[in-house]
Amino acid sequence: MKLSLREQYWNLSILGLVIILTVWRSNQLPVFGSYEIKTIILGIIPIALLAMGQSLIIIGGGINLAIGAEAILINCITAKYSEGSDFATSLRWALLGIVISVIVGAVTGWIISKSGIADIVVTLATSFVLIGFALFIQPGPGGGVNLDFAKYFIGGEDSYLAPLFVLFLPILLIWLPLQKSRLGISFYAIGSSKDAAFLSGVNVARTRVSLYAVGGLFAGLCGVSLTAITQAASPFAVISNTATLNSVAAAVLGGVALAGGVGGLFGPALASLVLYYIPTIMLGYGIDPAYSQIIQGALTILVVLVGGLLRARGKR
Amino acid sequence: MKLKINRSMIALWIILALTFLVTGLVDSYFFSIPSIGITLQLAAPLGLLAAGQTIVMLTGGIDLSLAMIATGAAYIVSVKSESGLLISLAYALIFCVVVGAVNGIAVGVFGVNPLIMTLSMSAILIGVFTVGVSTFLRGSSRMPDLLITASSGLILDPITWPLIIWIIVGGFVHFSLTRTGFGRVIYAIGDNAKAARLAGVKVWQVQIAVYVSCAILGGMAGIMLGGQSGAVAISLANSYLLPSVAAVVIGGTSIMGGMGSYSGSVMGALILSVLSYLLATLNSSEAFKQLVYGGIVLALAWVYSSISERK
Repeated sequence: MKLSLREQYWNLSILGLVIILTVWRSNQLPVFGSYEIKTIILGIIPIALLAMGQSLIIIGGGINLAIGAEAILINCITAKYSEGSDFATSLRWALLGIVISVIVGAVTGWIISKSGIADIVVTLATSFVLIGFALFIQPGPGGGVNLDFAKYFIGGEDSYLAPLFVLFLPILLIWLPLQKSRLGISFYAIGSSKDAAFLSGVNVARTRVSLYAVGGLFAGLCGVSLTAITQAASPFAVISNTATLNSVAAAVLGGVALAGGVGGLFGPALASLVLYYIPTIMLGYGIDPAYSQIIQGALTILVVLVGGLLRARGKR
Repeated sequence: MKLKINRSMIALWIILALTFLVTGLVDSYFFSIPSIGITLQLAAPLGLLAAGQTIVMLTGGIDLSLAMIATGAAYIVSVKSESGLLISLAYALIFCVVVGAVNGIAVGVFGVNPLIMTLSMSAILIGVFTVGVSTFLRGSSRMPDLLITASSGLILDPITWPLIIWIIVGGFVHFSLTRTGFGRVIYAIGDNAKAARLAGVKVWQVQIAVYVSCAILGGMAGIMLGGQSGAVAISLANSYLLPSVAAVVIGGTSIMGGMGSYSGSVMGALILSVLSYLLATLNSSEAFKQLVYGGIVLALAWVYSSISERK
């Protein structure tokens, strides 16, 4: 699917913003070598994965306010059962965690299709259920993971190749094939108009279940990457809510229209860099990180506002 | 249409009666007058939050910043209470009006998606108050005594001051929605904003008014919550965000707007309050509570939507 001119401009301006922020950040640090690059990539992996999952769901005309909780749940499951284990066990739990996340996503999609209740309400409720499960499994901060397993995510001492792979593999292996597939196109179709999609022979209910399942796949990857990177889990609603907000912000910033049917996953992945840089750069100046929440909220509103105005002008 | 509403209301009464009976069977003390008084007292702030959420959702919007508005209003009242009760309440009112107006202008004038607008507003408010606690809003986190009485004072078992306030304010909301032009315009916008605009309704003005009213109702609820807990913390109303939406949805207001009533939301708030009493008596872990709460909200919304679909 070719990007429209508007989307290309949008992605280019986000890329420009990312470059400016990268230069800014690199000036803050005494050295800007491969270790620093690695830290940045590790910082954005969870945000980017979650943002991609959320963006896909928004493209398909939905929204998942439980996506953060889903990632935290998988984080708790994998961190709890991989603690002090060997490589094979960690890998097995990571895979199982991703499978669970896909199932959770599919069930969410099924409930939304079957019940006819709005996405917001269903996922607001499931976010509570999922955090409840996470607390069940891991009542407080803790857990761990096999270090050899974690190496595949965090890489060696100074090499940022492994994290870079972790960041780009989902785009290459999931998004690119999906985008061209029948399923991917039907995501865009139900996102633009459910009725039109239905009339052109798309099974809307089944597509929606797959949509949330693929979203769950990204959330599961995010959970596993959190386990590998932080080597721990913390089952708190605050964290999952912030993660959800970040994912929506990154989607919006990345050019995904909330009405559905418009956008891609590259933009949100880029945008998550912006969301990572705002608090990091502010912390670098010794500013209370609470301010970054204000800036991020304001930025999200601004982007939606400008995006809406541009679209309104484009129509005229 | 009339018949459908009655049918849904009957279903809500049955659900309320069932949760009431089950709670009473689990904990026989629940049937005593003082515990009913407490349940009603705790339902009052949720009822006010649901009132705000109902008005916004009837226009097809949603206010996810409501919990932070409530917390903020309570926080401002407690910190400014040294300079007098009325002044502190005035500060809180200004805060609510400003936040509500910003939400309303963004949604009504600039067409920002309400979900994103209020989610971002919530993040902004969390940031502002986190910073404020140690800088410009430093001070006592204790609520003034008069407000503590107004939020939890007993008049005659099981009637409490917050219940009276809820009945008065809720009655006013119900009256405005059903008997005034403002209420009719709210339904019209939720049903079809374009048609309402073409019919001469200034949609943006109504939307600003709606978000401001919602914020003021949220502020009242926050002050009540603050008064019930005695002191204000930054997480005061956090756990009330889902219930405020859930009460409205269970009560049969469509999230797409244009359909529903505040009386339904009141039933929703009562059902959820009895439910949290039940969960509290079960003496269960936080994990279990969250799980059951989310599950039941989902189930109730599902039951409700399938009942009202069957004509």
